[in-house]
Amino acid sequence: MHLFPVVEFGGIGFDISSILAIVVSCIVVMVLARVAVSNLSVHNPSKVQNFMEWVIDFVHSTIASTMPLQKAKKFVILATTLIVFIFVSNLLGLPLGFVTEVDHDHHGPVTFMGQELLSAEEVDEAHANNEHLAFAWFKSPTADIAATAGLALVVFFLIHFLGITQNTKHYFKHYLEPFPVMLPLNLLKTITKPTTLALRLYANIFAGEVLIATILMLGWIGIPLLAVWQGFSIFVGAIQAFLFTILTFVYISESIVHEDH
Amino acid sequence: MEYFDAAIVIGLGALAAGFGNGMIVSKTVEGIARQPEAKSALQTTMFIGVGIVEVVPIIGVVLGFLIFFT
Repeated sequence: MHLFPVVEFGGIGFDISSILAIVVSCIVVMVLARVAVSNLSVHNPSKVQNFMEWVIDFVHSTIASTMPLQKAKKFVILATTLIVFIFVSNLLGLPLGFVTEVDHDHHGPVTFMGQELLSAEEVDEAHANNEHLAFAWFKSPTADIAATAGLALVVFFLIHFLGITQNTKHYFKHYLEPFPVMLPLNLLKTITKPTTLALRLYANIFAGEVLIATILMLGWIGIPLLAVWQGFSIFVGAIQAFLFTILTFVYISESIVHEDH
Repeated sequence: MEYFDAAIVIGLGALAAGFGNGMIVSKTVEGIARQPEAKSALQTTMFIGVGIVEVVPIIGVVLGFLIFFT
């Protein structure tokens, strides 16, 4: 297992590899979106434009299956952003990896831009146990719990903000439904929803990356296995991006749509 | 002993989720066979259910990895 370069800053640990990967995937998504909308044409659409139209059409029909059509319309941009960002993030860690090794004759602390990554004692201890010290500088941003928790936090605020502003009466009433005794369970549900949303995405991608690291330990025997797993990871990445988006909108529609009986 | 713990966590989680996912997918297939026009709606619901079931063994796997590597 590789170590990740975590820098302490004001008491909070910042993982440089995941911050780097988030920046890269933001740039990729932004460039993709800009390229798709440049030279828009009805008669002679470019391939990227066709692809983006297909994505938006797919996202639109997906949201429309969870809530009424006139409400779904204004969420298309949010859903497209989520699904494209998460899909790109999931795939980003698959093809690339930058690893720097710490030499066996290296003594003293390991530093990066003046910040300490590993203290001198930790380095000496690892050398004494004959451990392999290496830092991975690139991974899927979604293989970091902080990134997925951030996305889930956005969704969490959105669910409750939209519920309170657009569906005030029924939003507060639904905590007491079907019986007022259910209040603790309903409160628990508000916590578990974003938690499972974040953990599902994180755990799937993290488990995939750990399996890749494990396969790489096999050496050349692992090449066919790695090819199969990388292909499957693309599928898993797409499914997880889809699930995150659709669950977000199932939760939002639960809080803003009230069906009269 | 830690390896044994990790193996049990992953194995039992996968077993239970396998049964759960199997039930969801088999019922969906039955539903689609009975009403092919409801395919897209059924599939959407199926994926939501599968996603909710999947989260348990996957968290188990991550816990297993944490036991294994620390």
